Amino acid sequence: MRILVAVDQNAYSAYAVDEVARLARNTLANVTLLGLSARTDSPSARWTRDHPLTEALNNYRESFLAHFGKEDSPYVSQEFGYELIEVRKGVWEQLRVCRGARKELKTRMRLGAPVKQILAESQEEEADLIVLGCSAAQMCAWDKGARVPQKVANDAACSVLVVKEKKAGNKIVCCLDQNTTSQESLEMINQMVTLHQADLEIVAITEGDGRGLKIDVTRKMDSILKYYRDRQINPYIKVVPLSSLEAFVSEEARQGLVALWMGKKSILGRVFPRTKVNRLIRASGSSVLILR
Amino acid sequence: MLTTLVALDTDLASSIALRYACQMANIVKMALQTIHVEDADAERHSPGTGWVRRTWEKALLTTGEEEIAQLIQAERSSCPRLPATKMVLGDRDEEILRELEREPYDLFIEGMLYTYSSTNFYKKIRSRLYRNASCPVILVKNLLDLSRIVLVLDSTVDPSSAVRTFLKIFKDAAIDLDLLYFRFQDDGGTTRQEDTNSDAVLSHAGKLLADGGQSPKSSRVIQGTPERLDELFKDYGLAVSSMHHVTHKKSPLGDLLYRIPSPLLLCAP
Repeated sequence: MRILVAVDQNAYSAYAVDEVARLARNTLANVTLLGLSARTDSPSARWTRDHPLTEALNNYRESFLAHFGKEDSPYVSQEFGYELIEVRKGVWEQLRVCRGARKELKTRMRLGAPVKQILAESQEEEADLIVLGCSAAQMCAWDKGARVPQKVANDAACSVLVVKEKKAGNKIVCCLDQNTTSQESLEMINQMVTLHQADLEIVAITEGDGRGLKIDVTRKMDSILKYYRDRQINPYIKVVPLSSLEAFVSEEARQGLVALWMGKKSILGRVFPRTKVNRLIRASGSSVLILR
Repeated sequence: MLTTLVALDTDLASSIALRYACQMANIVKMALQTIHVEDADAERHSPGTGWVRRTWEKALLTTGEEEIAQLIQAERSSCPRLPATKMVLGDRDEEILRELEREPYDLFIEGMLYTYSSTNFYKKIRSRLYRNASCPVILVKNLLDLSRIVLVLDSTVDPSSAVRTFLKIFKDAAIDLDLLYFRFQDDGGTTRQEDTNSDAVLSHAGKLLADGGQSPKSSRVIQGTPERLDELFKDYGLAVSSMHHVTHKKSPLGDLLYRIPSPLLLCAP
């Protein structure tokens, strides 16, 4: 798994890095920390050590690595040392070896419009998840009111996690599109539940008055429930008609993290077009996970 | 040993209800009997007449039997051996009621997923089946661990029937029991005038339990709106309450029971 963390110099970015570090501990993901700077900076500016963004990135990297012990961190190259290696059957020889880092932690910077640069980086790196922080107090806008999280959430080809600085509640509400749910998305939610010691609520969406679930939806829900029970997670189940989904999600977003499956063929795309995703991210009291 | 009737349909709610019933059978000595009612007059079916209809009804039951067998087979690992499912053709509520009257069941279990609107919930508990059932009913909303149970009381509930039902089913089970007295208080802070006897109700319930050889782990009053209080119940594998007042009209306690994620054990007043 590859996670791209887009950061600037604000406190919410530090919070996002912290969240990703905790996620990486469980998933051993390859991680890229991407600092962003607008083109209003001098094009020939050198990223000196005391440049604010350089300093921020250094701090983020150290903060990330601090979540792992020095000796067993998968992100740190090990030093040279002697190890007994089996050279042939029954014969071991003490050889001097250097173990490289098992996982990548890259730190990069890009110059230009933040959204464009984040999306370009995610494409180049083939990121599975983009993580951005934002402040609930500022309606989830970045510096100068830029709606970076909303635009990235709408336009990214991969999943996007918008981490709100202030965490509300210990519940993850997952609106899965039962037709196109992937194993990866189920696993990502599993990780979030474990990480936050949260309750998991799975929402089945019905079309019509919500009286009954279609057979294929029932079967899919059953397999999803089995997936989580095998991992010692007992989800709560709710059935919500498509017509009430927006109101339901808005209510739930005040209390916990909302995860929405927004694949290309997802029916949630009908309920949550771009403007509504923007509104959800802006108004939500907790993090929002857009799954693709 | 208790005898329990479990209603099954080919849906997720029934799958959860069956699993819950089997979990309960590991804790409480009870024999399970499953029943499935095929509604021959449901819109999706094309009724014929005479021998055509009889043949078609027979085919309907056979198909239903196969589907229910698949559902039970899927739960085989967590369920004890179950007797053959009773397959019946007719109106679901009427046939289940008939079965409950025919045999001396101690408990009836069925599943119902939480829906966004409370309409279906109130419709269910106001149904002829629930009003006339000869035994308590467990409505399973989620599959939750049955290690903690809560008795939910308010000013309209006589705790006697709820305590009696609890003791009948769980007397010898190693389960933690909490007593909760619900006092509705809207966001403006208004409490209903008559809700002043919480201590008396809780004390009465505690005494009834003690007479039955049980004691609650905790006993307290909760107040607020159902929307704000439902989260308090997430760790309870079962909420026990009385059905009486809930069937008459929408009530704060009814709304609370609708909203909480725990399965509900509803007993007659």
